[in-house]
Parts: sequence; structure tokens; C-alpha cells
Amino acid sequence: MTTERFVIELCRITGMESDGIYAKGRKNGWLEAEDEISKDRPLTRKNAARIFHMYLLKVLHVNDLDISGAKDLRDLYDCRICANHIAQAYMRGIMNARELKRDGGFLWFDLNGTDDDEEVMAQLSRFSSIADCSLI
Amino acid sequence: MISGMDGPSPINGSNLRFDSFGDALFAKKPRLPAMGWNSWNAFGSGNTEELTGAMVLKIKELELDKLGYRYIVLDDGCYCPERDGGHLRSDTVKFPSGFKAMADLIHSHGLKFGMYNDIGTRLCSGAEVGIYGHEETDCEDYIKWEIDFLKVDNCYYMWDNATFADPQNAKYSYAPNIKSIEIDGMSHEASKADITGTRAEIKNGIATFIGTFDGTAPDHTPIGLRSSELIFGIVAEEKCTKDLHVTYASGAEEGTGQWLQVAIEDNIFFDGLLPPTKSNDSFEVSPAIKIELHEGSNKLRIMNHRRQENTLLSYSKIRRGLEAAGDRDIVFSICEWGKTQPQDWGHKVGDSWRILNDITFQVGSDGNPGTAKWEDDYTTSITSQYNKAVIMDEFAGLDKGWNDPDMLVIGMDGINDIMCRSHMAMWCMLNAPLMLGLDLRRVSKGGALYNIIANKDLIALDQDPLGIQAKRIFTTISCANPDKEYIRDNKRTDVLLKPLANGDIALGFFNLDQEDKSYNISIDIDMLVRASGDKITNKGSFQNAGSFRIKDLLTGAECEFTEKSFSSGILSPCDCKVIRITPLP
Repeated sequence: MTTERFVIELCRITGMESDGIYAKGRKNGWLEAEDEISKDRPLTRKNAARIFHMYLLKVLHVNDLDISGAKDLRDLYDCRICANHIAQAYMRGIMNARELKRDGGFLWFDLNGTDDDEEVMAQLSRFSSIADCSLI
Repeated sequence: MISGMDGPSPINGSNLRFDSFGDALFAKKPRLPAMGWNSWNAFGSGNTEELTGAMVLKIKELELDKLGYRYIVLDDGCYCPERDGGHLRSDTVKFPSGFKAMADLIHSHGLKFGMYNDIGTRLCSGAEVGIYGHEETDCEDYIKWEIDFLKVDNCYYMWDNATFADPQNAKYSYAPNIKSIEIDGMSHEASKADITGTRAEIKNGIATFIGTFDGTAPDHTPIGLRSSELIFGIVAEEKCTKDLHVTYASGAEEGTGQWLQVAIEDNIFFDGLLPPTKSNDSFEVSPAIKIELHEGSNKLRIMNHRRQENTLLSYSKIRRGLEAAGDRDIVFSICEWGKTQPQDWGHKVGDSWRILNDITFQVGSDGNPGTAKWEDDYTTSITSQYNKAVIMDEFAGLDKGWNDPDMLVIGMDGINDIMCRSHMAMWCMLNAPLMLGLDLRRVSKGGALYNIIANKDLIALDQDPLGIQAKRIFTTISCANPDKEYIRDNKRTDVLLKPLANGDIALGFFNLDQEDKSYNISIDIDMLVRASGDKITNKGSFQNAGSFRIKDLLTGAECEFTEKSFSSGILSPCDCKVIRITPLP
């Protein structure tokens, strides 16, 4: 799924008008310039986590959870800039870890990986549930 | 395609080599640790022109500039993620007026302007505007924008397995696994060679991990030789040229690489990639490498110092670009997170060097102060940074630069006022750069946060013109060398000693534990003088003093007394006591 389609789907499930969304989202601080410039590129998992997290913070004003709960992700600290985004998306159950069975098994997030459309739609659905709750 | 993307640049000359790390490279201006405000901990990627302007006004309103906080640094997130005709430009939404306008605003208030970049191809945020291959152009632009400070990060670096870089870049950072070498038909087994340092080891007859410790995480001490070489003693009856063949297996992972350096003493005969082998345990014989032996005993070094040398080379290109600023004074802040042991080489190019990965990953945003911790098993806590910095005093100084345990987290959630106060006191005792990382609109004159960050007596320690980082002279955990041993167990109290320019000393007692300490630590004058080594030049003044004037730098209380020992008192969890001692006749 491209970044653009992801952003449009996010708007759809949250009831936000998607016209001019990059300008609005960047002004509001939950989208970055790279989301607009690279909107046709496949959405990486770390970017999906960033957008989910920043939407929670900036639009829904949902406070962060303590990052410790994501320490079971082996690659959490590979991403010093987006560690918190990943942790929040993971701990809230929006995005799942990948489980590897090598060396007895461990969890990792796969920062630069991508998800298929079905999985991204499932993430958006889970995000929608949280967004609905935050508005109550 | 940027030139030089197909492999690390050749290193010409010897002044960037491991063997020359102790030598100067550029003229060095003695400079005390930088003080200011950096956008990252406060606002993360969400910093804007409006927010920065508000911070400038608050610094003036609070008169923090008069205390030394003068640098206003835009961290990651301020650039447009694409170059414009090869040039950097600002994010059009966050900084619509551009960087020169930002610089002018900051300078108009008598403050100094700092910016950020990255030695890799991208910034950590992902923006494809890293300085690699653009050093000259970017430095010209920075000089045009009249920057006074440049912080340079280490993400997306091509020649190491740095953050976001290809993990297989480790092939550049380590030598292959070595089974043996052969000269003149004579085989020499690796298992019988000597290993320098503690990084490499012999495993089942194979030498592995020939390279440099990765210092990004808090796992390893910064003290001692952080790199390993494999050393063969080769005797030659006369000066001669020989073919060397190495039996090796290459890899592309931490510990086993593909890049080999071969030297006889300090003459390097090979510095490059060997052909890849099928796997890291599939051994092959290398093409011939010509070496020159001298008569007698030769020290043949099998090594790979490129992890450090490549990074130093990259930072030196930027430093060289900044030289064009002439009289304009630009502070250069190295931020490669301690990965390549910058305490060895940072002084050659920079004014400070980060010693670990970030102090927090939960940075703030407008309206959210972010979260920090007192302790953590990774780098993300005050004590994680302190525990490493506190034994690195010998690497710092006016003629070198400063260990940087990252920006202050004072004002973030997750830490109380006592922790913040101790954090400030630690950083000042350690001569760390003091970069505020909070939304200054939350600070009011006389308030708790203000009183911590505006403690003139503590700042005077950090900015003391003698420029000597405190030394740990005692800790309650049993150890033979408190100034050298890397201790990560926080159930302890440390005692730090810092000589000052006017002949005073500062003595700090730090309870790192999150529990009360029932004991009272006393340090008598003889121990204090003995532990200071050659750092105190007026030892006689202390040993022969009739009395001492003592100032508690946290409470401001002053007294004079004749006893010749100094006590911690009972310290509550995470608390500290820092006193300034003046000997009186």
C-alpha cells in the first residue's frame, strides 16, 4: 500500500476530510514532508507506526504509554528516531510484531518491511477502535 | 549517484589512521562545553519556526543567556526531505522563512544559531539530505546561513552497520575470520598469534572479531584498548619483499567482515576488501599481498580499524568544510553515539562527542513534555549515560573536547525534581555540554525547573576555565579503581572530585539508588588529595589549611569549619550533595 492510500484510508476511517490532507496534516504535525513527497512509495512499517502514533498524539490527544512494554521487540533500539512510534503502535495492539523462530524464537518489528493491503486494513481497523474510544 | 558510494574512500596520509589517533589534525580552539537549547528532546521532529522563536524569547525573558545558554540548535526534522539543485533547504511548512531568517532572528537577540546533519546519506528522520558526498556544498551553505554550531549524526552511514544502514555494512567494520597466514611457503596459525585488546578471540583455532567494539549500547567499557589486532612475529634474515597469503572466511555481520588491513609495524601494505567467501566458515586463500620485511623481527599486523577511520574521515571532511568560515567560530558536535569509540579520535575534529545512543526515545512534542527515566538497562536513562561518562574523564579537556552524555532531560515526565537536580549536578561535574531539552514556556523565574537549570554555582563547575572533568574517587560498590571501572549497578553512592581554576575543589556525593541510603560517607583531606593524583596543583593549600570554607551548591548554604573531612550526610533516593571547598590559611 502506498503512503497516499494509507493516509486516505486513515482519513476515511476517522471521518476526516482528505482533501488537502498533506497541508493540514503537516501543519498539525502528524504528517511529514516526506509523506507528501514520497506519497507513491510503499508504506514502510516504521512510517505507518509514525503516522499512527502522531495522529494519536496530535489529533486525538492520546497520551503515550511507557515504552518499556515494547522491549521484547529485538529491533526496537535499531530505530532511535522512531522507537517511540513503534512502541506506541505495538503496545496499543495496532501493529503486530513479527515472530521469528530462529534461536528459539523472538519478536521483532521489521522497521523497513512492508505489510500487504489486508494487514494494513486490519491495522487501520484496530486503530479505528482506539480512535473511537478516545473520542468517548 | 554520489561519487564514492561503491566503498569507503581511500585514506591518504597517516593522520587519519588508528596509529595517529593521538595526534592533532586541525588547529584546536580551547572551548568550554557548549550551553544552549536543542529542539530534539522538547519537540522531536515537530519543531517549527514559531516554536523556536518562542524559545528564543523565553531564553531572553528568563535571562538564561546571561547564565551561558546561548546556542539555539535546530535538530532533526527541520529540512525539506529533498535537495533543491543539490542544496539543503528548510521544510516549507515548519520553517517557511528559511534558515537564514532563523539565524537572523536568533542573532538579533544576541544568541547563537545551531543546525544538524548526518554523515550518512539520510538524516535519522529519513529525509534524503544527509551530508555524505555534499560536505563542501553543505558547509558553504551553513557558513552562508551564519551557523555557530553544527551537530552531525550517524544514521544511514554506508560503511558501518549504523542505525538504518544496511546491517551487512559490518563487512567494512571487521576483518574476516582468520585461520592462518602463509609467507614463503611457511604457514603461521592464527591460534598461535598474539591478540591485542579484548575484542578478538580465538575460537576453534580461528581468530574472529578482529575490529572495534560497537559502543552504541551500554554493554562495554570505554576504557582500555577497544580494538583488536592479530599479531604475528615474522623473522627475516634481510630486508626483502614477500607474498603474503591469508586463509580466511568472510562475512557481513558484527564480528566477521570482509575488509582487511595488513601492516608491518606502522607501514600498511593492504587496506581493502578481500574476495567474499561462500560463508563465514568456508575458508579460502587470499590473492598474494606484497609485504616488505626488514631485517630481524617484524610485527605483522592483521587488523581492521576502518570502523573508526571511516567515521573519522567523514567527520574530518565536514570539519574541513567548516574551516572556510575563517574567523567565524563554529562548534562541531559529533553525534555518532559512541559507536566507533570517539573518545579515541573525536578530539581531532570535534568539540564534543556523544558517548552512547540517546538518553530518551520518548521525546516530547508541542504540549507533551516527553518521558525520561532515572535508570534503564539500555542507554535511555540518566544513570545509563552517567555510568559511562563518569569514567571517561581522561579523554576530556580544554585541549581535546568533551564527553557528551546527551542533552538534558530536565522537565520531562518520568523523573522527579530530585532526579532532575542530580542530573544537572552530574552533567556539570562531568563537564558535559548543557543543552536544555524542554519547552521553555513551562519555565518561570524562581520556579522549580528554573532553579535547577539556572543554578549558577553548578554551571560555574561546568564552565570552570580549568576545564577538568570530575574524577570518581570512591564508590560504595567494591572496586579497585573507581575512576576506571565501568559499574552499571546503581545500588551505590559515588564520590566525584573536580579541581577548579581558582584552587578550590568541588566534591560531589551521588546516591544513584532509588532507595534511601542510611550511611554517611566521609572523605578526609588526605584521601582527597591522594585520590586527586596530579589534578590538584595546590595540594599543600589543602593539606596545610587551617580551615575550609564550604558552599553547598544545591542549597547555597555556606559555612567555615576546621574539620579535615567532608561528609555526604544521609542522601535520599537519587539525591546528591555537591560542595565547593576553599582552603583557608
